[in-house]
Amino acid sequence: MPLEPLRALGPFRLRVDPARVAAYARETGGDCASVPLAYPAVWLSEPSLFSAVHDLCAELDVVPVHESQSFSYDKPLVAGESYDLSVTMSREEAPPRLIMAAIVATPGGETCARIETLLRLVPRAGFGSAS
Amino acid sequence: MSDAIKVGDQLPETVIGPFDASSLVRYAEVSGDANPLHLDDAVAEAIGLAAPPVHGMKLLAAFEPMLRAWRGDLVIASLAGKFVQPILRGETVRLSGRVLRASDDEIFVRLTAYGAARAPGIVGEATLRPKAAT
Repeated sequence: MPLEPLRALGPFRLRVDPARVAAYARETGGDCASVPLAYPAVWLSEPSLFSAVHDLCAELDVVPVHESQSFSYDKPLVAGESYDLSVTMSREEAPPRLIMAAIVATPGGETCARIETLLRLVPRAGFGSAS
Repeated sequence: MSDAIKVGDQLPETVIGPFDASSLVRYAEVSGDANPLHLDDAVAEAIGLAAPPVHGMKLLAAFEPMLRAWRGDLVIASLAGKFVQPILRGETVRLSGRVLRASDDEIFVRLTAYGAARAPGIVGEATLRPKAAT
């Protein structure tokens, strides 16, 4: 059950960098012929987005552990094109989780994909130094 | 569309890895996920792991080529996975899939990734559709 709607982030204008797509495909067994379905995961590490996660975890003194991930596509992403990533972060309390629901849309507003990232929030004290 | 695809069909198993430390470094660099848990033996040991775990996303992403090799005439409309337990550096990974639902419009596949442990490291799912319908 959602604890509270935390905050909306973005939209962030992000480009599907062809060189990074090729590198990502190589590291995940793809053929570089198309943008890997999981490629938008790299955007979750963008400082402008991940800083919000980092700050929240520091405030709660927890470590985020990737629990699940989903990608749902209306149309494929195209290498070299730019997209707008809009993210809503919300929290669940039992167990503690951070849910990041993202929409990838063209600059014209057409939705291409929906992404959900679920992070389990583990107390830092029980997680060694793995942060 | 779903000719020859039936509920219960097994996808050909795909074996990937084992992944070494340099492979995890490369994935960290390209993905931006530089969590030291995946890269530092001491950090992994601190939480009781014998070796750093492979990035879950690296493994989840590897289902896509498996699905494309199985049925390249279909479009993968969705891919999802739950990271159940770590699959560690140095472990061979077996990716498998089984059709749970099949219709003319949609194929739903249960996905699993196994490392060395008896339980799966990832339990996932994918939805595939005919190209004309997307």
